[in-house]
Amino acid sequence: MVTKTEETQLNQLENQVENGGGGVWEYLCLVRKLKVRRSEIVLKHGLSILNDSGKRSALGPDEWTLYEQVAIAAMDCQSLGVAQNCIKALQKKFPESKRVGKLEALLLEAKGMWEEAEKAYSSLLEDNPLDQVIHKRKVAMAKAQGKPSLAIEHLNKYLEVFMADHDAWRELAEIYVSLQMYKQAAFCYEELILTQPTLPLYHLAYADVLYTMGGLENLIAARKYYAATIDLTGGKSTRALLGICLCGSAIAQLSKGRNKEDKDMAAPELQSLAATALEREYKQKAPAKLNLLTSALRNLKIS
Amino acid sequence: MGSSEKRSKDIMSDIPTFSAENLQNNLKVIQNSRTFLSIIAGVLAGIIGFNGLTGFVFYFVVMLITSVGLMAKAGFSADLYFDSWNRVLFDGFLGGLMSFVLFWTFAYDLVHIF
Amino acid sequence: MAEDLVLDTAIRDWVLIPLSVVMVLIGILRYFVSKLMRSSPTPDAKMVKEGQVVIRARNLKAGANFIPPKSFRARRFYFSNEENGLLHVPKDQAQNPQAQMFSDPNMAMDMMKKNLSMIIPQTLTFAWVNFFFSGFVAAKIPFPLTQRFRSMLQNGIDLSTVDVSYVSSRSWYFLNLFGLRGLFSLILGDENAIDDTQRMMQMGGFGFDASKSLSAEKDGLDIIQHEWALPRFEHRAESVLKKLVR
Repeated sequence: MVTKTEETQLNQLENQVENGGGGVWEYLCLVRKLKVRRSEIVLKHGLSILNDSGKRSALGPDEWTLYEQVAIAAMDCQSLGVAQNCIKALQKKFPESKRVGKLEALLLEAKGMWEEAEKAYSSLLEDNPLDQVIHKRKVAMAKAQGKPSLAIEHLNKYLEVFMADHDAWRELAEIYVSLQMYKQAAFCYEELILTQPTLPLYHLAYADVLYTMGGLENLIAARKYYAATIDLTGGKSTRALLGICLCGSAIAQLSKGRNKEDKDMAAPELQSLAATALEREYKQKAPAKLNLLTSALRNLKIS
Repeated sequence: MGSSEKRSKDIMSDIPTFSAENLQNNLKVIQNSRTFLSIIAGVLAGIIGFNGLTGFVFYFVVMLITSVGLMAKAGFSADLYFDSWNRVLFDGFLGGLMSFVLFWTFAYDLVHIF
Repeated sequence: MAEDLVLDTAIRDWVLIPLSVVMVLIGILRYFVSKLMRSSPTPDAKMVKEGQVVIRARNLKAGANFIPPKSFRARRFYFSNEENGLLHVPKDQAQNPQAQMFSDPNMAMDMMKKNLSMIIPQTLTFAWVNFFFSGFVAAKIPFPLTQRFRSMLQNGIDLSTVDVSYVSSRSWYFLNLFGLRGLFSLILGDENAIDDTQRMMQMGGFGFDASKSLSAEKDGLDIIQHEWALPRFEHRAESVLKKLVR
């Protein structure tokens, strides 16, 4: 989690660094501490320190941390030559290190040598079967190769042990959605909602999945989760507002033949409120597209 | 002191939903301001030379002021930041007392006994 | 004539202040030493999994009302059914942690390290205080106390005539030990939160007993009443939107 103060501090330092105002090392430390992804800037300025032997030796033992950081940033920017040089330097210093081994495997992965990378990761896993980073790399590799089902397999294996890792659940949910396996995705989103019940993002995604699955029961549930999203965001989520409208019309369509007394089915007030809120938002932010919206809404109500 | 209170709670009224992390942070802020103030209060009480019951009364008064200050910081609506009022009023009260007594004794001895 | 007891200023300069300063410094030193000695534990898969199961079950308990009833029931069954639920611990498997500790020397080693970093400096300081400062009346607490506190405050001097509010140097050491906790948590950050005094109390319950916490979570899950909170959200969304539209 990056807090607000940390973020402003980071941006301030970044500005300063970009304008040649010094404080490069502080900036790099902060980036490392907050685990943010600013690879290009890190690469540029980290490399300038590494190329300057005076500055480099002034760092003392931190020099090697910088090598690692720059190597990873370089791989992120596809400057594989730079990464290779950094890793070589590290290798010379720490010939037996697992941490350098990880970097090497990462480099293989960046080069697209999947089989070699896979082998390297597997041998690393043998030493430490509980290394979360390596498990995640394997998933990422499967994804990069365009094998989502393999990624799912890896993720499931990972989640069997680390079942409280919500980032993994989220990844799994997104893969399932991309494969149109909505039932499984719904399960993952339920899990995510459980871990952070106040995050509107998960409620929204869960509602989307439910709506896509269709069926009266799911639609009603989807509307409830859209409502929850609206409540949690204070009505600022356009997607949720649209979702309410869509759910409303779909429910009306499905329940046409049945008795209307069921209270759960219709929430006309919520729907019309959502529609007005939507119109208002469009009027404020995109008046040119208001016509599109009104016609779309009209269509929904008629159908 | 007490600078990073965050909204741990949205516009929730009937369903208590807290972000555990933020709540933890808020409690930590309270704890820290309590300890800080109890140490300061101890040193003050010692230098002024409060004796016996007066010292403890002084401690209570300081803690009361702290509570009021914390409440003011929370905008007099503690349910937005904490799960109960008692947290604001009593958290860190006894832990602070120990520090208070120590620093009170220390300062008192330095100034008045020798 | 307790009131008339005069303390030499040399006691202040050579006992009270050095003792307190040393206590603070030792506390800080110990913090850094224990930070250095803390070895990252190499957990085994079963331990990790159990910990994660507990976290997930706790999440389920806390957020139960946010998922549909059907999903909740399915999860509860998954966690707590009697045959292969994640939280179900077979009776014979619940080994006692003491035995586990002896079977795993690493764990015992870790425990030793942790305790050593706490016991050694404490005994050393205590011995040091005893050696240099024994028998002094070092301070006077500014409030009266009853006779029962004598053994606590005048540890190390056998004078029943001295007023109880006078503190011996050894007892001043103990006062510092407890009272400086707040100061440490302020200057060293909250990592120091679990300090020695608390750890001393925890000493009884050696180690973390996974099976116990698993079954505790199971009981907690079993008694939960599921009440879906989402229907209420529709009304709340309505009121939010009403406010927004108006």
